[in-house]
Parts: sequence; C-alpha cells; structure tokens
Amino acid sequence: MAAPGDGAVGSVCKHHAQQGVCDSRAKYREGRRPRAVKVYTVNLESRYLLIQGVPALGVMKELVEQFALYGAIEEYNALDEYPAEQFMEVYLIKFQKLQSARIAKRKLDERSFFGSLLHVCYAPEFETVQETREKLQDRRKYIAKATSNRVNFVAKMIQEPNKTVSKNSECDFKPETSGFSAAHANSGNWDPSGRCPSSYKPSCNFSSVNRVCPSGDHFWSGLAFPQYVSNYAETSEYFNQSTSLSESVQQGGHTHTPVSLVRQRKAPSDNGIGRFMPRTTQLQERKRKRDQGNRLAFIGMDSDSTEVIIGPQLPEMPKVDMDDDSLNTSASLIRTKLKEVVVSAPKTSGEKPKDSQAKPLIKQRRRI
Amino acid sequence: MSQKQQDLLETGRLEYLQALVTEFQVTESPDAKEQVLANLANFAYDPKNYEYLRQLQVLDLFLDMLTEDNETLVEFAIGGLCNLCLDKINKDYILEADGVAPVINCLSSSNEETVMSAVTTLMYLTTPQSRQQTTALPVVECMLRFSLSANRRLSNLARVFLEDYCSPDQVEEARNLSKHTAVGIPLPKD
Repeated sequence: MAAPGDGAVGSVCKHHAQQGVCDSRAKYREGRRPRAVKVYTVNLESRYLLIQGVPALGVMKELVEQFALYGAIEEYNALDEYPAEQFMEVYLIKFQKLQSARIAKRKLDERSFFGSLLHVCYAPEFETVQETREKLQDRRKYIAKATSNRVNFVAKMIQEPNKTVSKNSECDFKPETSGFSAAHANSGNWDPSGRCPSSYKPSCNFSSVNRVCPSGDHFWSGLAFPQYVSNYAETSEYFNQSTSLSESVQQGGHTHTPVSLVRQRKAPSDNGIGRFMPRTTQLQERKRKRDQGNRLAFIGMDSDSTEVIIGPQLPEMPKVDMDDDSLNTSASLIRTKLKEVVVSAPKTSGEKPKDSQAKPLIKQRRRI
Repeated sequence: MSQKQQDLLETGRLEYLQALVTEFQVTESPDAKEQVLANLANFAYDPKNYEYLRQLQVLDLFLDMLTEDNETLVEFAIGGLCNLCLDKINKDYILEADGVAPVINCLSSSNEETVMSAVTTLMYLTTPQSRQQTTALPVVECMLRFSLSANRRLSNLARVFLEDYCSPDQVEEARNLSKHTAVGIPLPKD
C-alpha cells in the first residue's frame, strides 16, 4: 500500500468519476458496449483498481475472490476514508500484473455484485514513484518487442505470401476495441520467455476439444494449425482466432452431430489426411459425405411394423473407436447423454427442426 | 458475431481507420470530431496499428491538433501521441516534425490528462539527440513544480522525469532558477 495517509491519496480523483456514455456516435463507430469518449494512455492504467459500489454486507471475501479470477492479487483493503454512498464500501485491489488488472476491470466494471453495480476504475494515484517508473518501462519494453516482432512478421509475409497469413491479419481486426483492448489481448504476455509456449496453448486445447467432440470435424484443426504456426508472434491474433474458432467448433459439433456421426463411422481414419487438405476441398468433401449420409439415412426404412411412423430412420448412434481410452469414454458419455435427451424429450419438441440438416428428415415424417 | 462486426472484419483495419480520418476531416460536428480523435488516439495504443496510422498521416493530425483551442481535442491528440511515440519510426517522425515544442506547450494546460500525457510523451521522446530539447531548463523547472503537486499521479510522473531523464546538475540549475522567480505556470486544475 502506498502511504494511505498521504493527502492526495484516498481523496476523490477526477478520473474516478464515471463519465456519461456517448450516445451521438456514428453507427460504424459504435462498439459492443456503450462507452464514454475517453482516451486511454499508460498514465491512466494501473495495477491498482478502485472498486466502488460494493454493498456494505461484509462481502470483502467474495469480492476479492471475484477479482482473483483474473490474476494474482498482491494486496487489497477497504478504503474507509474514501467517500461512498450510504451502505456502500470502496475497496482497493492491487494486482501483481497490469494485464490482470486490465482484464478484471473489463470483466467486472458495471457488473452486478450482491444487488449493486460495481464501478471499477484504475487508481494510479496509489502507485509509488517506483511503480510508476516500472509501469512506464514495461510499456517501453512492450513496444520495443511488439514493433520488432511486427517487422519480422511483415518480412515473413513478404517472403511467403501465404493465404492463411493474409487472411489472418484481416480476421483479427476488432472494431470498437479501439486498439486499446486489442492491445489488452496483445499484451497478454509481458514476460518474453512466456510468450511462445502460452501462445501455443490455445492450439493444443483446441485440437483436444476437437477430438473429444463427437462430430470429429478435423477440418477445424486443419485450419487452425497452420495459422498458429505461421505467426506465433501475434499473440492477440491467437486470442481472437482461438476463441472464435473454438466457438464455431462447439457450434459445429452441436448442429452437425447426426450427420458427422455417420460420416465418422465410414471414415474414422482420415485423421491425418484431413488436416492438410485445403479448406475448399474439405468443405466440398464434407458436403459430399453429408449428402451421402443423408441418402443412407433415407434408405434405411423402419422395419418394425408396430411403429406408426414409417418415415426415414434417423441414423443410429455409431460405436466409434477413437483410438484412445479416455476419448472413447468421453465419447460414450456424450452418446448416452444424447440418447437420454432424445428419449426423455417429448416427440414433438424433439422433432423440431434444429438445423438445415434435420429439416428434410422431419418433413418426410410429417407428410406420412 | 453480429452482422456489423462481420462487415467490419471485411472492411479491414486500414479501411476502417481511413474512414475515421475522413470523417474527422469532413465532419462539421464538434462532437463527432472529438469522438473520432479519441478513437484514433485509442487505436494509437496498439502497435499493430502503427503502420496504418503512419500511412494515413495520423501523426501529423495529432501534432496539428496540439495547437487547437478546444482543450478536449488537445487532450486526445497528446494522448494519441503519448500512445504511439515509443515506436522508433514514430519517434523519429515526431522529432523531425519539430513536435517537441508543441508538446512542451501542453505542460501549461489546465487539463490534468493533457499535462500527464505531455510529461510521458517528453520522456518517451528523449533520445541522446533530442535530450537538450526535451529536458530544457524551463521543462525541468516545470517538473520540479509538478513534483511538489498534491496530485499524486502528477508528482510521481514528474519525479520519474527528474530522476531518470535529467542530470543532477540540470535539476540543481532549475532549482536555483525557480528560487529567484517564484511565479510560474499554474498547476493543472484537479
């Protein structure tokens, strides 16, 4: 704690007041969240966060736990002398790393906490001279590193104008992040040595997600892999890419489940090959297999005469060997869960068209 | 992902920044001007944008805005410079465009953020060649006063400036000078 008795510290600072949200922005400049017009510089950032709007319910432990989700906390304490509304408290939390403070602020500002909205802001006035100095030096180091990486990256792009690389640099563009939160992601690794391994991490997680997922869309890992390799310097791009990709994987796993299960039964060993296919080929291949799968499903009529519905049979849950015990266990767990859901759900709701693949099947049944 | 974001992805970073610069130049609305300048200054935080910002001559735009009457525009412009001036190419560009003088002028602003950004920008612009300019006697004198400010952020910053960027002789000289001339530039409003 930086000398709490000091005159200026603990008093209200102008930059703590919440500015009004700007509502006159042009459409193309609107961000995901309404924001005030403000320019962030290194001077406004800090490892110290001031949290206003905490209900005086003795919830410091819960508050600190919430913030600790975003990084190691070095110190925390209540600011009794700081002016607050009635039945409200103000807390100061000092993170070990600036990056943690950034994320915590972004995630928890304006978040509801025990029935009240938190207002989280940086509190650089609690820094010591040494901490201010280090903050400025960190920024200097970061820029030096980022710009030298940038040079390498550009040079590499010129050397081999790879399709994935150029696509990547377009894709990572985030609109209203205003560069600032893009930098958040970007500056994720201040520690130079920590940079490389951690930027590989998303790709690893990613492919494991991919395999456990019953749809087994190898296509995605094929797409993700070269990107991760091709520019490991651009951390933030991983960040964006990996999140968006894994989202789509989950989605893909969901919607395509019946279809790709069929596909996987027929071609369980295209693991390595699929990875190196160009994207367009893979899409075509997938479509072809999907069509084939649908055809098969249509041919397989229900032979049970007691059944009233004589529509096409839904593809049976296949027993796939995933070449790994734990993967098989996960797969069978998912399989039983899916079965449970299908059985327990009432017929009508279960047959609601969830996606384009399911539609033709259901239509068929309705007609008969 | 919303359609709007999708569109932006396709538009691309350079085009988006270009659109901002164009709006800044053509708009009649002072609000829009401030918002766009703030946008650009925030984009200047991320090194990934530097190449584009140079291409679009945003550095000149920031430097031009330093002499505006509108204090908000000055605040955002110096914030933008503070964000991008650490990059070697940007630094050289600003120094060659005689950017130090208008930055020093910002030290006498009554806007706290403007002064903070100006102090940091001066630190970051200091090179063996520019040192004489960035740590000129009036600047050091100004920092001495700031270092006594009740505003903790400002005093911290000024102390870093005095300790890391000025020689003890320079500080001593400024101290002697300010003894004689008590009146100085007013401190920024809190």
